[in-house]
Amino acid sequence: MCTYIICGTSGGGLPLFSRKKGNSETLPFSIVGSLNGIHMFGKPLGIEILETLTDDYAVCWREFEDSIILIGVASGCSVEVLNQLLEEIFNTIVLVVGIKELKTQRNIERLKRELRLCLPVIDRLLDSLDSGDANNQHASDIVGFVETTMCQENHLIQTVLDSFSESVDSSFCCVLIDGKISAATESWWSLHPVELRLLSFLAVSENTTDSKDFPVFLPYKSPTVAFRFVVCLLVPNVQICCLCGLTPTLQEIEHSVKQCFKNSTDLLTAAKNYSPNFNVDTNILGHLLINITAKKYVMSKSLQQSAKKSNAGNSHRIDILRTFFYRAVVAHLVDDSDDENVGLETYWCSEYHKCHAVRTNDNVLCVLYNSTVPTHALNGITEKTLRALVSDKQVCW
Amino acid sequence: MNKLEERMETQKLLEGHNAALNSSGSTTTVTDEEWTDDSSSSSCSGSDSTIPEWEPYVDDFTGELLYIECHPFVVQNKDTKMKNTVSEPLARTNLRRSTRGKFLKLLRRRDSRRKSKKNQKSIDLSDTNTSKVKFQELQEGEEKEVMLEIDAENRHNLSSDKSLAESLLGLIVSTLSDGNRVMIAGFCYDSKARQERNIKIGDWLKSINNIEVNVQNLDDILQKFINRDDVLLKLQRVAGVEVTKDPPINELNIESDFVRELLNSRSEEEHNLSQLLCGQPVGVVYINMDNLKESNQNYEDVVYCFPKPAQKNLLATSRGMFITINHLLFDLTKSRPKVSSLKCHGQLANVVFTNFNKKILLLMLPDNKASKEEILLINNEIIRFLQFSYENLDNCFTSEKYLPQVSHFFFKLFARSLSDGQWSTAEQFQALENAELKKCHPQFEDAMPVAPSLCLPYEAQIQIDDALSELEASDYRDWNEEPLDCQRLFTILGSAIFHAGYLLATHFMHEDLIDVFCFCKHQGLFHLSKTEPVKSLVLWKEVFPSSCRIQNSSIKIPSGKRYLLVVESGKDILAVIMEAGGCTEPAEGNMGPDAFYVEEAQATLAHFQELGLSELAERLLTLEPHPQIIKPFPQYNKRRSDLLNFSRTGSSSIKDLTNLPKKSEVTSILKKRSVDMNVIPQLSLNSQEDSLDGQSEESGSQGGYSEISDDSRRNFKKDLKYDSFDEESDTDEYGEGSHISVASFDVSEMRQYILSEIDDFQPPRLTTGPENILYHYVQLDLSQGILLCPPESKYPTPTYNFIINCFRRISLKIHSLFQNTVRFKNMPPQDIATSVMNKSLVAIKEHGILFECPFLDEDGKKSKIKYWVLGRLFYMPHPKELYVCYRDGIPQNLIEMAFKINMRAVY
Repeated sequence: MCTYIICGTSGGGLPLFSRKKGNSETLPFSIVGSLNGIHMFGKPLGIEILETLTDDYAVCWREFEDSIILIGVASGCSVEVLNQLLEEIFNTIVLVVGIKELKTQRNIERLKRELRLCLPVIDRLLDSLDSGDANNQHASDIVGFVETTMCQENHLIQTVLDSFSESVDSSFCCVLIDGKISAATESWWSLHPVELRLLSFLAVSENTTDSKDFPVFLPYKSPTVAFRFVVCLLVPNVQICCLCGLTPTLQEIEHSVKQCFKNSTDLLTAAKNYSPNFNVDTNILGHLLINITAKKYVMSKSLQQSAKKSNAGNSHRIDILRTFFYRAVVAHLVDDSDDENVGLETYWCSEYHKCHAVRTNDNVLCVLYNSTVPTHALNGITEKTLRALVSDKQVCW
Repeated sequence: MNKLEERMETQKLLEGHNAALNSSGSTTTVTDEEWTDDSSSSSCSGSDSTIPEWEPYVDDFTGELLYIECHPFVVQNKDTKMKNTVSEPLARTNLRRSTRGKFLKLLRRRDSRRKSKKNQKSIDLSDTNTSKVKFQELQEGEEKEVMLEIDAENRHNLSSDKSLAESLLGLIVSTLSDGNRVMIAGFCYDSKARQERNIKIGDWLKSINNIEVNVQNLDDILQKFINRDDVLLKLQRVAGVEVTKDPPINELNIESDFVRELLNSRSEEEHNLSQLLCGQPVGVVYINMDNLKESNQNYEDVVYCFPKPAQKNLLATSRGMFITINHLLFDLTKSRPKVSSLKCHGQLANVVFTNFNKKILLLMLPDNKASKEEILLINNEIIRFLQFSYENLDNCFTSEKYLPQVSHFFFKLFARSLSDGQWSTAEQFQALENAELKKCHPQFEDAMPVAPSLCLPYEAQIQIDDALSELEASDYRDWNEEPLDCQRLFTILGSAIFHAGYLLATHFMHEDLIDVFCFCKHQGLFHLSKTEPVKSLVLWKEVFPSSCRIQNSSIKIPSGKRYLLVVESGKDILAVIMEAGGCTEPAEGNMGPDAFYVEEAQATLAHFQELGLSELAERLLTLEPHPQIIKPFPQYNKRRSDLLNFSRTGSSSIKDLTNLPKKSEVTSILKKRSVDMNVIPQLSLNSQEDSLDGQSEESGSQGGYSEISDDSRRNFKKDLKYDSFDEESDTDEYGEGSHISVASFDVSEMRQYILSEIDDFQPPRLTTGPENILYHYVQLDLSQGILLCPPESKYPTPTYNFIINCFRRISLKIHSLFQNTVRFKNMPPQDIATSVMNKSLVAIKEHGILFECPFLDEDGKKSKIKYWVLGRLFYMPHPKELYVCYRDGIPQNLIEMAFKINMRAVY
C-alpha cells in the first residue's frame, strides 16, 4: 500500500509540504509538478479535474478557498474516503494556522514553518485510509467520526469531569484515554465531529508526556479567532483536555487536574481496558458501534476469541470492519441525504468472514462474524447485541 | 373431394396470375443462360429470377446493405411527411454474378423443393388481391401535366445519398405496387415541387418531356435533362374506388422517423446538431501520441474527434491534461488510469481512458447521464462495437470511407445518452436540447455486455436449434441430384435468433454473441424490433468477430472475410455470421450479400415464425404480470385471519396475482391476447412468403399472396389465420427419406403443439415461503453473454419504478465490488504479494442491503415497504452474478434461487 499527499499553493503552485505513507519511494519533483500542473492546466479551459481512478489507486485533486491545493494518491481505499481525508487535512491546516493566514499567504516560508506543526496530525490522519494492510497501528481510525471508549466507569468519569469543568471555568473539557474520548462535557460534544477528531489527534501527537498549551483555530466554530487548547497528562495514556481563553494559566489548570482527578486515577487506568459484560455471541470477531448524530463510534478489539490470536490478526479484523463500514455502510445506512429510501441493514459474505450491520434510530452496529454463521442468523445476533450495548445506562452511550 | 377441387382452382388462378405478372413484363430479367433450362420446368421461374427487393440498396463500393421495409399497418411515430427508402432505384439486370451461376442453379432447385417438402404453400387468393392487379392494369385516373423547374443549385451538387429525382426535381419517388411504375412518394424539404398543387403524393409519374419513364430508366432520363431549366412532367392520378379498400397507396411505404434516420444519415442536419453537442460535456477523441509535439497548434495528434471541429471540442482542446494523466499515473502507480471525473463549466462529467499502444481513446459523458461505473461499461461497448464493425480503432478512425458512419454512430450515441437512453430522432433531440438536464435513471443490465434471454419450453428450444443447425449446416446434397462440383461461398460461423431484443437461441461462440448483440443494439435494430415491427429488414456488413480477432498464435484463424447478415421480420431478428475464405471459395473484396443466403436466412426466420415460436415468445414476454415476480403493494398489519382476504384491500392487479390459482390466470390472459395478436402472425406470414420467393413487386402490397411450385403434385390451401390448421399431413413424405427432420413434421401440428405447451410451461417460483415476494431478478453471465431477467413490465407503478431504479443503482455498485474478487482470482500468484489491492475485498461473494421506502402509488399512501437488494457472485464453473430484489420477510437463499433460475436455461 502507499499513500501520498501533496500540498501546494493554488496560485503559483509552490509546494508547501508533501507526506507519504507506506514503503514507497518519495515522489520525484517532476511528478509532483506534473500532478499540480494537471490541475492548473484545466483552469483557463473551464475544467477542474477532481479525481482519477486506476485499478487500485485513486487520485484526488481538491482546491480549498482558492488558496491551496491538496492532491492525494492512495491505493486500496475508495475515492470517497480519500476525498474526505483531504478535507480533514485542510481542516487540520486551518486548525493550526487559521483561515486568514492561509488565504493571504504573505510569507510562504513562514507558512511552511507553521505548517510543520500539523504534520504529525496529518500523518495520523493517513492511517484512516483502509488499504487492507494488517500492520496498521491505527486501524480503528475512521474518517469523519470520532473514536470513543466504552466502559462501565464512564458515568463516574463524567461526574469528575464536570466538576473539573467548573473549576477551570471552561465548558469545553474532555478526558482522553489512548487518544479516545472517554468522557466529555456537553459543550465539547457540540463541536463539529471533525474538530473533535482533530483535537484528539493533536493531543496525542508528538510528545504525550508533557502538558501542552497552544492556540487552535476551530475550522467550523471559529476559523479566524484562536482558542487555547490545553492538554494535561494525568497518568500515561490518560489526558485531560480543555479549550479556554487567556485565563486560567497552564499551572492553574494542571493544579485543577490534580485536584479533581486525584481520587479517580485508578478508575481511569482500569477503564482503558475495555470489558463488555454483555453476552456476546462467540462467533462475533469484532464490532463497531456508531452513533450517527454525534458521529462517534467505538470499536471493539478484545473479545473472547482475539485473546488467542496475535495482535496483527486483531488489527486486520478491525481493518476488515472498517473497510466494510466505508464501502457498504456509510453510503446506505449512515448517509441521510436520501430520506425517501432509507437503508436499514446490510451485510456481505466473504470466503473467510461475514460482516453485518443494522441500523436502529441513530445507532448503527457493524459486526464481524465467522464465515460459519448462517447468513439468515446474522440479523438476530446483531440486533440483540446492539440492544445490549445501547441499553446499558452505565456506559453513557 | 371438396379440397381437391379447391386446389385445382387455386392452381388455375395462380397460373393466370403468374401469366399476368409475366406479361406485364415488369422484371423478368433472366439473362443468365444457365437459368433458362430450369425455368422451363418451373412455372415460377419468373418469380425466382426477379431482383430481390433489397438488391438496389446494396452499396456498390463496400457491399454493405441496410434495407428496411416497413409494414404499413404497424407504424409508430407516424409523421405527416412521407419519405421513401428508395435512394437509388437502379436496376441491376445481372444481379447474380455469372461466376456463381452453377451454384445458384443448384440452389434454386433446392429452394423450390424445399418449399414443397416443407409444405409451406400458403396460398391465398382472396378477391381483393386479384382485383388489385386488375385495378393496376385498368384503372386510370385523371392525367395532369406540370412544368417543373430544375433545381439549379443541386444540379452539380449531386450527393450519393440522394436520388437524381430528389436533387433535380425535389421529388421523392417510389414505385407503385407493380414495382415498375414510378410513384411520387414525397417532396424534398423546400422544393419547388412541394408548392406545385398538381403534384400529389401517390401520383404515377408517366413521362418526363414526353419520354415514358419507369423505375429502370428514370435516372437515365433525368441525366439527359440535367442541364435544362425545366421539364414537363406528365402525371396520372391513381385514384379509384379500389384504393380505399386497401390502405392508400401513398401510405404503403410510410416509415417512421426512426427508420428514416436508420437508413439515411442526413449529414447536414447532424452537422448542425453536433454544434449543439459542442456545448455539452460530451465528446470522443482518438489521439496518436507519436505525433505529440511541444508546439501542437493544429491538432496533428488528434486522429479523430467528435463533435467536430476539434477547436470547439472540449475534450480535444484539453487533451493535454488527459495525456499527462495517462502517462503520469502509469509512472506513479504502474497501472493505467481508467476514469477521471471533472467539473467542466460547473457540470460534473466523466472521462474514460482506453490505451492502444501509442494511441489513446478518450470518451466523455456528463455524470448525471453516466456515472463512473456506467461510463466504463458504455466505453467497453463502444470499443466492442467499433472493433466488430471495423476490425480495430485505427481502421475505424483513419479510413475515409468509414468516417461518416462512425460520426453518425457517435452522434446517435451522444444524442441517446443526453436524452436518457431514448432513441430520439434528430428533431426530437433538438427539442430536447433545451430541456433541463436531469439525472437519468441508473443503468445496470442494459449497459452490461449481455444479451437478455428468454427461456422457451424445451420443445420450442429444440425446434429453433434444429432450424438454426440446418441453416448453419448448409447441406444441399438432398436438393441436388448431381454431385456438387463447386465450393460454397460461405461457411456459417454461427447464428442467433432474437425476438423483440430477447435472445431465444444462439449458436455463436460467446464472444461473438456479445459482439452481435452489441452491434444490433447500437444500430438500433433491437429498438426497432421492440417498437415497430418491420415487414422485412436485411442488413449485410463485413464484420470482425472477436473469435476471429484473437492474437494467439496457437490458434490458427483462416484468412478470409466475415460478414454479418441480419434479417428481420416482425419482431424477430436472425443474425448470422458467415465466413468467406477458409474452406469456401476465396473471398472477394467487398462482397455484397448473396441472394441465396439471404433467402435461406429469411426462410429460416419464416419457418421459425410458422412454427409459432415467434408468437410463443411474444406471449411469454407479454405475460402481465410475469408469473415469477410481483408488483410492490402496501403491506398492512396482517393477522393470520386477514391473510386470505388481504389482497382485496390491495390494488386489483395484485388480486388476481395472489388469489387466483396460477394456471387459470395464465390461460385467461392468453385467451384474451389471442384476439389482438392476430395482426402479428399475419405479418410474419407475409414476409415469409416474400422471402421465399423474392418477388419484389408484391412485397409492397397488402394481405395475401400467390405462388406456385414446380413440384405441383400437391397444392395445399392454407388459411392465413393462424388459428386454423392444415389438416392434411405429409404421410407419403416419409418414403422419400428426407434427412431434414423438420420437413417430415407437419408444421402446423408442431405449431399447435408448441403453442399449447405454454400452458404447462410455468416457470418455478423463485422465492420460498407461502407467497411470492420477488420484485425483480437479474442473472448476469458475463463470460457467456447471457442475461436472464423477467421482461420489462408494461405497466409499471411508481413504487415499482422507484424500487427498480434503486435496485439498478445498488446492483451496479455490488457488481463493482465483485470485480475485486474476480480480479483477485485471476491474478497470477506471483503478483499477489506485490498487489496493492485491499485484501479485505478480495473474497466477497455476497452483498445485500435492506431498504425502506414509502409506498408511492395512489392507494395505500403512508405505508412503507421494506425490500432487499442482494447480489451474489458464483465463481465456479465460470463467473456468474445474480442480483435479486425482494420484499423483506422470509430470508432467501441466493444459491437456491440461482438454481431455480438456471433450471430452465438450456445454455
